Amino acid sequence: MRALPDSVPSDAELIARSLDDPQAFAPLFDRHATAVHRYLGRRVGELADDLLSETFLIAFRRRAAYRVDHVEVRPWLFGIATNLVHGHVRTEQRRYRALARAAARPEGHTAGPDDATDRLDAEALRGPIAAALAGLKAHDRDALLLLAWGQLGYEEIAAVLDVPVGTVRSRLHRARRQTRAALGAVSPFHPTSEEEDR
Amino acid sequence: MNDLTLLRDAGPEAPTLSPAARSAARAALLAEMSGPVHRPARRPSRRIAVRIGVAAATVAAAWTGAVLVAAPDGPGTPAGSVTLVDFAVPTFPLSLDPAPAGMTPAFSGDADSAGFAEYESADSDDRFTVGVDDEEPEELDEAYEHVDVTERAEVDVDGADGRLVRGVRDVYCEDGLTVCERQRFAELAWERGDDEWVTMSGEGRYSRTAELVAVAESLVDRPQPATLRMGLAPAGWSVQFFKMGRVLTLVNDAYEQQTLTVHVPLPEDVVPLEQLPAGIEAPAGPVVPVTVHGLPARLVPTDHGAGMAGWYLQAQFADGTTFTVQAPDAFTREQVVALAEQVTHNR
Repeated sequence: MRALPDSVPSDAELIARSLDDPQAFAPLFDRHATAVHRYLGRRVGELADDLLSETFLIAFRRRAAYRVDHVEVRPWLFGIATNLVHGHVRTEQRRYRALARAAARPEGHTAGPDDATDRLDAEALRGPIAAALAGLKAHDRDALLLLAWGQLGYEEIAAVLDVPVGTVRSRLHRARRQTRAALGAVSPFHPTSEEEDR
Repeated sequence: MNDLTLLRDAGPEAPTLSPAARSAARAALLAEMSGPVHRPARRPSRRIAVRIGVAAATVAAAWTGAVLVAAPDGPGTPAGSVTLVDFAVPTFPLSLDPAPAGMTPAFSGDADSAGFAEYESADSDDRFTVGVDDEEPEELDEAYEHVDVTERAEVDVDGADGRLVRGVRDVYCEDGLTVCERQRFAELAWERGDDEWVTMSGEGRYSRTAELVAVAESLVDRPQPATLRMGLAPAGWSVQFFKMGRVLTLVNDAYEQQTLTVHVPLPEDVVPLEQLPAGIEAPAGPVVPVTVHGLPARLVPTDHGAGMAGWYLQAQFADGTTFTVQAPDAFTREQVVALAEQVTHNR
């Protein structure tokens, strides 16, 4: 994360100021809207526009409850966004399944000598990954996507989901095991320790 | 490459955050920050309620795509040379006969999955939605993880077998997290014709089986026009999505970063004309007085940076309802006004 110049208030300082001066909250939108929308958009597609707005409205209304010693602001926003996604489980599921179906359609191209290699690239895995995500339990998927797309650590995930870190660990273990199993036949990934990814 | 890298590199991509969507979200936040606003009868949980069950986001091919009545003039529309052509927003294929008293439909959809019609009573909690699809809707257990299902049954709908689920779910308060009340619902899906699956979701009196089935049996094949319509559109653009009869967004098929949004804000969210441009995001020039539908309107150039300059037009329909048009700067001032002149709203 890029360090802010000394003269620029930190996220936590902005939240503290906004308790007396609500307008001080606005820069948080400018700093984090794109990242929150990208996280939401990867999960629920176009619905991200609505949920982005709701995420910041809820954050503003709950800013008095924000605890800087608990979690930083961006993970806190991802947590709110994740809770909002819970109301749209079907939309998320259908999106992954539709992406998996779309990726499975033949493109009509002729296989060349490099085709076998090309099929191992990221593009070829879009469908299987979407299908794997559709098959996960909602809570396991939350933990996995906060780790992979939100780039939160285990403790941050535990904080924003309000569960013990041990629960996060077991959810991630289950989600990653299922994902690897689903991708096992097609993926080029190399096994790594889960702890290395924290 | 490990599984996390794969998820980041080859997982589903997010749609671009359009200037219009960013602006709308920021404006909503700024409005909230400006102080307590009275928001009568606004139910933030509506979208959650609409999408949680069978009737949510299930409709697809029954909607035709947006129709360009005049031929577009090429594969794409380069910035600075927009051509406006006649345009028709998709219609919803079904109507209710008789029409339910005191309930007017609003339509939502997008280019791929079309949408649904929402009927809501103005003076009670009675509400139902109707969606059409050419595929049988999936019944996902996860859709009911957060609700109490009280009944699953097979019911007869005009001689067809319908799948009914009834239950009780949480309704959230303004903060989106606190549960304010518990709400009864019913959801119904059946194959109305060959490759025509209809899904319905009801609340209030329509959470009862008999009432919901009665509505289901009153459906007839009669298309209904969209709530918010445009009579002109840029050649080579198509409908991206439309929501609740209040938002219609078109996208440049050759350059998806370019969008055009028509919005009918809720009355409490309307910025008075005399307060422009202070009430909008990123004004980049003087307010230009114009006339739309024979009424005073205002046009403001905007600039969100990174090549995202455009126009914000605020105007009124003849009945006094305010609407806005947000367009990229590929459009001329005259084209933005011409587009606005062809916007109609029938709610």
